[in-house]
Amino acid sequence: MTDLALDKLYGFYEQLWRIRLFEGHVQRLAAKGEVPGFPHLSTGQEAVAVGVCAHLAANDYVFSSHRAHGHVLAKGSDPYATFAEIIGRQDGLCRGRGGSMHLVDAANGVMGATGVVAGNLSLAAGAAWAAQALGDGRIAVVFFGDGATGAGVFHETLNLASLWQLPLLFVCENNGYAEFTSREEHSKVAKVSAFAAPYHLPAETIDGNDVLVVNAAAAAAVRSIRSGAGPRLLECMTYRMAGHYVGDAQRYRSKEELAAMKEKDPIDRLRAHLTQRGEPAAELEAIEKRVASEVQAAVERARQAARPDPATVLDYVYSQPLSTTAEA
Amino acid sequence: MQRKNDPGERVAAMLRIRRFEEQCILLSKDGQFPGHYHVYIGQEATAVAACAELGTDDFVFSNWRNHGHLLARGAAPDRMMAEILGKAGGYARGKSGTLHMAVRELGVPATSALVGGSLPLATGAALACKRQGRGVVVAFFGDAALEEGACYEAMILASLWKLPILFVCENNSIPPAQRQRGQYTSSTLPAAQLVDVPQALQIRTEAVDGADADALAECFDRLVAEVRSEGTPRFVEVRCTRWPGNFPLWPELPCGQWQLDWAFGQSPDRADLATWLEQSDPLLLYLRKIVAAGGLTREQVQALDERARAEMAGAVRFALDSPFPAPEEAYQHVRAEQGATL
Amino acid sequence: MKISFAQGVAMAISESLAADSRLLLIGNGFVGLNMEARALLEPALREFADRILVAPVSELALAGAGIGAAMAGQRAAVDLSTGSFIFQAFAQVVNEAANVHYMSGGQTTAPVTFCSLAGMRSAGAAQHSHRIQAMLGQVPGLQVLVPGGADDAYHMLKWALLQSQNPTVFISHALLLGETGELTPGAPMLPVGKARIRREGRDLSIIASSITVPRALEAAQSLERDHGFSVEVVDLRSIAPLDRDTVLKSVAKTGRAVIADECHRSFGVAAEIAATLAEEGLAYLKAPVCRVAVPDVPVPFSPPLEAELTVTADKIVAGALKVLNAGSTMRRPV
Repeated sequence: MTDLALDKLYGFYEQLWRIRLFEGHVQRLAAKGEVPGFPHLSTGQEAVAVGVCAHLAANDYVFSSHRAHGHVLAKGSDPYATFAEIIGRQDGLCRGRGGSMHLVDAANGVMGATGVVAGNLSLAAGAAWAAQALGDGRIAVVFFGDGATGAGVFHETLNLASLWQLPLLFVCENNGYAEFTSREEHSKVAKVSAFAAPYHLPAETIDGNDVLVVNAAAAAAVRSIRSGAGPRLLECMTYRMAGHYVGDAQRYRSKEELAAMKEKDPIDRLRAHLTQRGEPAAELEAIEKRVASEVQAAVERARQAARPDPATVLDYVYSQPLSTTAEA
Repeated sequence: MQRKNDPGERVAAMLRIRRFEEQCILLSKDGQFPGHYHVYIGQEATAVAACAELGTDDFVFSNWRNHGHLLARGAAPDRMMAEILGKAGGYARGKSGTLHMAVRELGVPATSALVGGSLPLATGAALACKRQGRGVVVAFFGDAALEEGACYEAMILASLWKLPILFVCENNSIPPAQRQRGQYTSSTLPAAQLVDVPQALQIRTEAVDGADADALAECFDRLVAEVRSEGTPRFVEVRCTRWPGNFPLWPELPCGQWQLDWAFGQSPDRADLATWLEQSDPLLLYLRKIVAAGGLTREQVQALDERARAEMAGAVRFALDSPFPAPEEAYQHVRAEQGATL
Repeated sequence: MKISFAQGVAMAISESLAADSRLLLIGNGFVGLNMEARALLEPALREFADRILVAPVSELALAGAGIGAAMAGQRAAVDLSTGSFIFQAFAQVVNEAANVHYMSGGQTTAPVTFCSLAGMRSAGAAQHSHRIQAMLGQVPGLQVLVPGGADDAYHMLKWALLQSQNPTVFISHALLLGETGELTPGAPMLPVGKARIRREGRDLSIIASSITVPRALEAAQSLERDHGFSVEVVDLRSIAPLDRDTVLKSVAKTGRAVIADECHRSFGVAAEIAATLAEEGLAYLKAPVCRVAVPDVPVPFSPPLEAELTVTADKIVAGALKVLNAGSTMRRPV
């Protein structure tokens, strides 16, 4: 994994920062009351999104969870339209209908985040099945947290994916918490990858805070899936540096735990790797600055964007008018 | 409820189930009750062995194939048959029919006819047992339940909350030896063996031959004792081979009612039935074994069978004679009686 | 004493845990993100920790475990969190709990309470904003409680936890949690199944439930202040059982009805009330009834769009004025 081209490493560095800074703005503006609802941040987990999406084409399917910002940006969606959606503007990805938890960018293969834990898993299996049936070479990736493994539909989807040998990559972001409950409390099974074994679904558990590790594992998994070898599961051990939602007081975590998490920061780890390779600090700072101003510009533009017109509230309920209401 | 390890009682319990189910098939063919139904022929030894280990504080949860479980638990065949026919004399006065038959006083509070539907309920009853410091739960279900998220969630809870429950998966799908290449244990589960699934959830498992009444008795004796003493769940896969009469959409009696002579030298003139009897019929195999060992004489078995036939003929008469419920009965029991204030 | 709706919920849970050792809690949310109520609940959660079960994201089995425990002699409350999440548990709530007493011919009861924090809660978007009461009203065997005030939240939840013999869905509303009301300690509770006249009036009845109760009261005030009408507000309190008598009596007195309901307009609680008035109260009506409900659109995220759909006091006023001004056109039945 050390023989990666420099531009690739710089690309990862840039993307990690883009997500981190983007979510920093979400957090900042949420505190000011500018973000409706309860956005969920992926701060600390960015390496999973970046390392996995590096191997996806624009038309590959991504299904995300309620913690979706990183996945959507890593898949290549426009930060302006993404941010505009998070603050409910007409220019948003979903015209303000979805918000942070329900981001959809279908043109870019982002089939949808879901506000329901585990709500995305079987949908991803369906998309993968469609790709298989059409033979169009696409694959589907579904991101979910370890909390989702308590849901029966996770087990049902593992079964279907294996049974039908679907081109589907399960990516579990195991951040140790299901909402406010630690993994030790809500499950007796230490590793999520163990759930896949009975279904003969190849699974591995990796360090999800090291983008290079994620990149290598995702490369192998995606290659195998594209070759028609059936579904795989990657369990990425990571850490949610933010609370469950913006404003979560996190009383369930100790000070020591919060301090230790700084060492797990995926950005710090990639920077250390690059510095070790002798890359100049000035270059890294320049990337960070460039991304910061780009994100800042997108956010400011989104803040100026128009709110949806209430008169359009009936739009999009059906993709074609119901016959009885067509004339109404 | 039967005495444990008494060959006569074990044989009687299995014969009662078989003769009950045969009457059920005959009544259905005769148009005496509407709707689909499921019989337990070929799996009798499982219910008999499991229920032999249970006392009055224990609970049994079942599914649409519940007749055997209920009879083994001690339910009255006449009231069961009346319920199957939708009569007022049934346990639920005709409201449950065959699919949802329950007998509260025997620790069978509800029976779901949804695949996997009883398992969360069974887990809850086990939670109650744990709180009350008495009783265990035996939950019977088929192999298809393992394809349901409900089953998986129930096992997660039982494991996490450390509940006294024995999950009994009666796998009556195609047995490993007869499986064609590419066929699964159950038609839609890719696991090499069903026990792999609960094992991944940190539940201790084992598999047992559903045609071997002695092995079943030993297995349930041990597992129920473990669940009782340790208060944690266990999972057992009982590998049964489907009785040929259960292959068609509606159950049929191949070569008529089961004959005692088939255990002692004679053979039915249908090859698939003959093979099933020789290899997979827990009743026939146990009878042969116990008579050869001198535990029972053939005459004693004959007498037990006659008693079972007579009992079930009586149940049929009771059910046929029982009136249908009055139309007003439809409005009863929508809600339990209760006060409206604190 | 003055308590908030969330405090009422917290007190009911705490007192019920203390009063009946059979009561088990599955999950421990119940009061949403209302920190005051959480603080109030915490001592009980600590004291009765052995009766509170850690809940993985397994709503189907959590609901079923509550039902099963209740069938086996315990009493159980299952925290299903956001109202929309009851769909993850629907198979057990609708197809097991509701049927068990009936299908067992009265042998088995399942005194379990499912607690749901439902409703349009501001920026919940379509997946966290469902009002589930009308759907559940289609399920005989379930009791569906929809308190609109702190007093009823306290009494009715406590009743469900301690007295009810039937499966109950207790529906709170995120925006009701902070509403305050007067609670007289020791005063008898109004029976479940009785609607409450929250405000008496002569000219118009507003029939409300859950979050529309405070909004209807606000609308009634402004109708009196700005337009000189005397308006009665009927708080349904529960939709199963549904107190049709009180609704009919009120409309018999006022002759006009507005039904304020946060369900979707089609097949909602308001539709059932309107049908009742059409079948049994037509002779009382001086004007057609008016439903003020949510249009048949999934709830959008963006605030101006959500506001467009929300049943506000202003919209109730507008509906009321339409009904109040329509008097002479209604033809009386012969």
